[in-house]
Amino acid sequence: MRRSFLWRNRVLLTSGALLIVSLHLISTGVHPGDLAARPESAFLEIISPIDAAFTRFSDGASSIVNDYLNLVHVREENAHLRNELARVKGDRARLVELEVENRHLGEMLELKDVLGANAVAANVIGSDATGLSRTLILASGSSDGLRPGMAVLANQGVVGKIIAISPHASRVLLIDDHNSALDGFDQRSRARGIVAGLVDDGLILKYADRSQDIRVGDSIVTSGLDGIFPRGLLVGTIKSVHRGGPGLFLGVRIEPAVDFRELEQVLIVTQPPPHLDDGAKD
Amino acid sequence: MRLTLLFAAFVVLGLAFESAVPHLVSFRALIPNLIIILVVDLGLRHHGVLPAMLAFAMGYATDALAGSHPGLNAFTMTMVFLVSYEISTRLMVANAMVGATVVFFGVIATALATVAFADGFNALSDTGSMLGGLALEAAISAIVAPFIFAMLAASKRMAGLPGRAARE
Repeated sequence: MRRSFLWRNRVLLTSGALLIVSLHLISTGVHPGDLAARPESAFLEIISPIDAAFTRFSDGASSIVNDYLNLVHVREENAHLRNELARVKGDRARLVELEVENRHLGEMLELKDVLGANAVAANVIGSDATGLSRTLILASGSSDGLRPGMAVLANQGVVGKIIAISPHASRVLLIDDHNSALDGFDQRSRARGIVAGLVDDGLILKYADRSQDIRVGDSIVTSGLDGIFPRGLLVGTIKSVHRGGPGLFLGVRIEPAVDFRELEQVLIVTQPPPHLDDGAKD
Repeated sequence: MRLTLLFAAFVVLGLAFESAVPHLVSFRALIPNLIIILVVDLGLRHHGVLPAMLAFAMGYATDALAGSHPGLNAFTMTMVFLVSYEISTRLMVANAMVGATVVFFGVIATALATVAFADGFNALSDTGSMLGGLALEAAISAIVAPFIFAMLAASKRMAGLPGRAARE
């Protein structure tokens, strides 16, 4: 009888047990060294080459489409100019692409020099699979010296931090995710606060006191006190300041310095520069 | 084993698509939630311990590429499986229309559950602006679902698996 009950309800019981396991995982969290982190790391490792292939395919497809459109346009010209124009346009497109890539890498190099820190560059190959969180997938992992918790930057400013890693891929939690928070301050008035993401979109500066002189257009930079992000990196600019309503703090919205959808390459700080440690002790 | 391999292949392709394509297109809501469609197919047409564990594994695999709370997608996918399973066994229907309806509500419910779990139930009041995009994603997922069900059914036939629910 007992066996029959278990057999009849095996799907419900199994699902119930799995729901309890999920709740346990959510409540306790999964740390990088945990046994529960291994499947996640393995799956990230499996998916990353496919993601990279998708990205390469898409770049190739867009190049083919552009070439085709160029050719259609050129056919309207006379026969002599057609081939010449196609060649010049092809060269130009390649040069423009090389120039953009060169500029990105040059800016990364400048940023790396400015930081004075050990840093590695990585290509962005994907984003959050569900779209409910704001994360990116990078084509570099622990074999490149990356570790969870490392700061990720772009030449325009702060991007986020690494939250999961596999040997050849890693995931970055963007600063505009609703679970992200970093210590920052207003560069003009020195007013401090916590920069946090919102569920619906955008960034806010939390816990900024009402007495603080914070104005629209001010730059918000990292304080370095969180021990993750180097001090003085641009986070964004103040978009609006709401002083009305109840509460102890200002309602401050920030426009992120980085357009996260346009990111192609990022820089990961593998070892903070010495002055950051000094700042963290303050 | 064949069922596991078949769904593993679909999940790998689905997650690669869902993580790579949104980075290339500007509007995320146009990308259907393929993993929920696969889980609903499992719940409607495969009744047993293995499909339940597969649904959990698919959610956990999604956790590797989405969100910052491991276990959250595993939880929501197991719930979607359970609801699909209950609909299939209680109502004795498992057609594509029912599947598409479950997918539609599943996409919205899992998104809201994810926000509530990650940020607390108070955060649900801030989801007003994302509801439009969410409804669009749910509608696109529901429209795509019958085609994915058909692809799965064809793949199952090729693999020698039963396409219909094994009644208990």
